[in-house]
Amino acid sequence: MEISILTRWKASPVVTSSLLIILLTLPWLSGCGINNIPTYDEQAKATWAQVENQYQRRADLVPNLVATVKGYAAHEKDTLMAVTEARAKVGSIQLGKDVLNNPQLLQKFQAAQGELSSALQRLMVVVERYPDLKANQNFLALQSQLEGTENRISVARRDFIQSVGKYNTEIRTFPGRIWHSILYSDMPIRENYEATSQDAESAPVVNFDG
Amino acid sequence: MGNLKRTVMVLVLLLSSLALMAETNSLSFPKLTGRVVDQVGLLDKNVARELETKLQAHETASKNQVVVVILKDLQEISIEEYAYQLGRTWGIGQKGENNGVIMLVVPSVRKVRIEVGYGLEGTLTDALSNNIIQTVILPLFRTGNFEKGIAEGTEAIIQVLGGQYQFNTPKKQTEEPPPWWFIFFLPLIFLRRFVGRGFYGYHGHHGGSHRGGGGFSGGGGSFGGGGASGGW
Repeated sequence: MEISILTRWKASPVVTSSLLIILLTLPWLSGCGINNIPTYDEQAKATWAQVENQYQRRADLVPNLVATVKGYAAHEKDTLMAVTEARAKVGSIQLGKDVLNNPQLLQKFQAAQGELSSALQRLMVVVERYPDLKANQNFLALQSQLEGTENRISVARRDFIQSVGKYNTEIRTFPGRIWHSILYSDMPIRENYEATSQDAESAPVVNFDG
Repeated sequence: MGNLKRTVMVLVLLLSSLALMAETNSLSFPKLTGRVVDQVGLLDKNVARELETKLQAHETASKNQVVVVILKDLQEISIEEYAYQLGRTWGIGQKGENNGVIMLVVPSVRKVRIEVGYGLEGTLTDALSNNIIQTVILPLFRTGNFEKGIAEGTEAIIQVLGGQYQFNTPKKQTEEPPPWWFIFFLPLIFLRRFVGRGFYGYHGHHGGSHRGGGGFSGGGGSFGGGGASGGW
């Protein structure tokens, strides 16, 4: 039995030559984008991690901010409550490893973050009425941290949208399209959902009049 | 009919690729001619040179790259959006360390921003950047004292960054006189300077008025939107 296998191996130059060809063309293949799809996939995941990271950073700021504002503007109960509730909602969403392949969960996450954004925006408008609070060093530090974090969030989101766009383009265009159908058919086109939620986040500013 | 369809398709493809190109090229950034890039001519030559020397010394001591940019216009985006992309394009800060800082002043829209690289966000925090802008830079800007505002703002940034540096290496060491064997290296240093000047002279780096130590380039650092902005 063993002998027959060996002889068969020896007897088939087609197998050996095709193996040789594959070995020889491997470096050439990596040059023409065979690795692009997984590479871009990893980049998309990394940029998403950064988005989550920055949202987390904002969520971590909230309790401190609420506590500081409460000390000066305790009777802005509704606004403070809205922030606390939105913060709790954000914290309750568990994002697993596979979150990028779960558009529904992503949308839910995005909606919750959007609510927190608008609640925070409202809080920052209300705060304008309290000069004592606005002179408080602790509050000023928190306020600038919040501004900085919001800015980091938008940078991280832009990076994420870009990297998903790159990944999708690679799958949809030649030669990535071919590699996708041969090797990576399990890696789907990703929804660049964030574009839709962008206006949802900035909308609340408009209808706020104090 | 089929022919028409095809030509339409080709046209659409061409147009969309053109649109894509336009989108990626929509932002233009000034050339990184030195640590001080002044598109407007806001700074006096001597002030700019002084600033450049200071920033260069800081980089030699701490590896942090601090750059001052006075920009003509923002091309209709926010200063926050512009600043991090400028930083990434130039690659301010060392690669892997991301220890770059950009002070961006845009007189046409009366905005200033301190953009902090990933690696320095812990030292030059948003709160500190904001404090520098609000208490050091803006009061001077509001009285039209731009040169002083920029100089003192830069000084404050260096002080904040230096706080960390001193923590790592005791202050004593920097105040000691150079050791006696330093004298042997002196000719070498002068020689290098001389050779360096000759080199840059040959390659026509005369264009930029503020070129400090010659060819300055970003180390490949990256930015993620840290820092603070303000307006006057």
